[in-house]
Amino acid sequence: MALRVFGLNIVRSNRNLLKNAHKLSAPPSGYMAVAPFASEVTVQAAPAAVQKQKVSKAMRAYLKRANEHDEFMKTQHLEFQIGKRHLANMMGANAETFTQEDIDEAISYLFPSGLYDKKARPALKSPDVVFPARKAAEFDETGRPFHSMFYTGKPNFFQLLHDIVEETNKLADLEERLLRRGNKPDENQKLEMAGFQLLPKDQLELFLVESIADIEYSNFTKSMERLIASPYAYKSKSFIERFLKPLMDQSKQLEVPKPKIDEEGRQYITTYECLRKTARADVTVRFPGTGKISINGKDILYFEDENCKEQLLFPLQFSELLGKVDVEANVEGGGPSGQAGAIRWGIAMSLRSFVDQEMIESMRLAGLLTRDYRRRERKKFGQEGARRKYTWKKR
Amino acid sequence: MSFLSIIAGKTSKYSSLRLMSVYPTQYVEPIVQKDKQNEQKTELSKLYHVPIKAAVNKSSDTVFHDDTKEKMINYITKKGNSALARTLLSKTFELIKRTQTEHMNLAKGEKNAINTNAETLLKQAVENCRPLLQVTAIKRGGVTYQVPVPITTRRSYFLAMKWLLDAAREKERKVSLPEKLAWEILDAAHGQGRVVKRKDDLHRQCESNRAYAHYRWS
Repeated sequence: MALRVFGLNIVRSNRNLLKNAHKLSAPPSGYMAVAPFASEVTVQAAPAAVQKQKVSKAMRAYLKRANEHDEFMKTQHLEFQIGKRHLANMMGANAETFTQEDIDEAISYLFPSGLYDKKARPALKSPDVVFPARKAAEFDETGRPFHSMFYTGKPNFFQLLHDIVEETNKLADLEERLLRRGNKPDENQKLEMAGFQLLPKDQLELFLVESIADIEYSNFTKSMERLIASPYAYKSKSFIERFLKPLMDQSKQLEVPKPKIDEEGRQYITTYECLRKTARADVTVRFPGTGKISINGKDILYFEDENCKEQLLFPLQFSELLGKVDVEANVEGGGPSGQAGAIRWGIAMSLRSFVDQEMIESMRLAGLLTRDYRRRERKKFGQEGARRKYTWKKR
Repeated sequence: MSFLSIIAGKTSKYSSLRLMSVYPTQYVEPIVQKDKQNEQKTELSKLYHVPIKAAVNKSSDTVFHDDTKEKMINYITKKGNSALARTLLSKTFELIKRTQTEHMNLAKGEKNAINTNAETLLKQAVENCRPLLQVTAIKRGGVTYQVPVPITTRRSYFLAMKWLLDAAREKERKVSLPEKLAWEILDAAHGQGRVVKRKDDLHRQCESNRAYAHYRWS
């Protein structure tokens, strides 16, 4: 660094800039986004116009701000260390090996809080987590910006768009060249996008260290989709993967309980709190069985409605276990339709333990494993019902 | 989410987007029938990561389930008494079955030509009664014109079923609804009767007002 001209102070602050950049590239709190752009900015910090004596106003203001921030962070770090030490002493532990988890535990033990919101409870965290990373200087001491897109106000974002388009054009060129040669894209290497989604807006913002507008985010998604739609998208897999987030398998999200064994040596599963409308049921499914159904001590004729009986049998028939399991249910509250719906959900949830993963997924797709949260819509004042308006005639 | 709605959303020809739903927008309609799931097996892998709405309490995967039938029950229902509507429709089907079987037994030769399946007869009747166009009143220069406009598939099914039911409800007090509805369905299934005539009348009216068709947009 040839910033010697300006005295030690500047060199130090520039070193701090570098440090900041490192912090950005490895964010402390498990964010998956890495910020290569922000660090790039400082890496190329060797200014072109070194010999110039004049420091621009912008740079001076920036350096002042950066210094202040550094001082502030330093005191914060000191305070954090002291606080940590106090906590460790109170807990009788070694302050050097006291981790963040120990801190959280100590605080919840020493300062128990009845506040509902977790954010409102007392906490002690590293200042790096509390005060988010800032962008390092984007211009040299003469005020000349490093980035060609500095004056867009969001250089990292527009650079990203630029990169995406460059990648797309590269793939288009490749496609044309290979087409002329008569080659076809490899079907086996095709990008599988089903289990992924593009980075959501807030995570992209963390990645870029810039806040972007909704329309800009939609520009990003559109250009990414155009890139992914290319038949040779697998060639820029590493680029695309940086902006993808894996999705969880829906049917694997809920853990399937292991069946218990009753006195007769049969497997059984009890599902509590089966809710639908205002009905509530507990459902026990026993396997192997003979297809016996008992609801509040009665058999399936507990329901007079044909529709309700059909609903009860729906999951059993769907999973082909009709006549192979016994069902016992206790149900209260609500009307017949709600009760039947509650028991249906309970049976479906319990049956997961007796069928294979493929059938579970099939049942999920049929909508049997989703809890039906729909409730009666309230009547509104000034209206005859939930939606219907009073008859009104002007004249 | 558009491609997903194509796979999952169009499970029923009557389905449409519901506003003010309790389900967030990423939820898609369930595919209740197992046959349909097997048909689209390759596309279903896209749904692994998508949450599914709960199956409504009218749906089921039995051979007795039929979309047209369920819709008809909904239209027959008065004041939420769908159990009664169900029995009325099953009585209707019974009557249709009886008459058709009688016809079949009385017929000389070609006994298989007579359809005795009440559900397919209902579907046939609804298809025969579906209008393509309707007229709406549009005011231009102080004069109201009857302007023919095309209607959506959904609405055409609605009108067909409504007309069938209107015709069935227009009866003597002594005649029961299932009896009259059975007659109307049988008539319409054979391309005759009041409902098909009503459709033809509407089409004729549209045809005679074709000169005003441009008022739809000008």
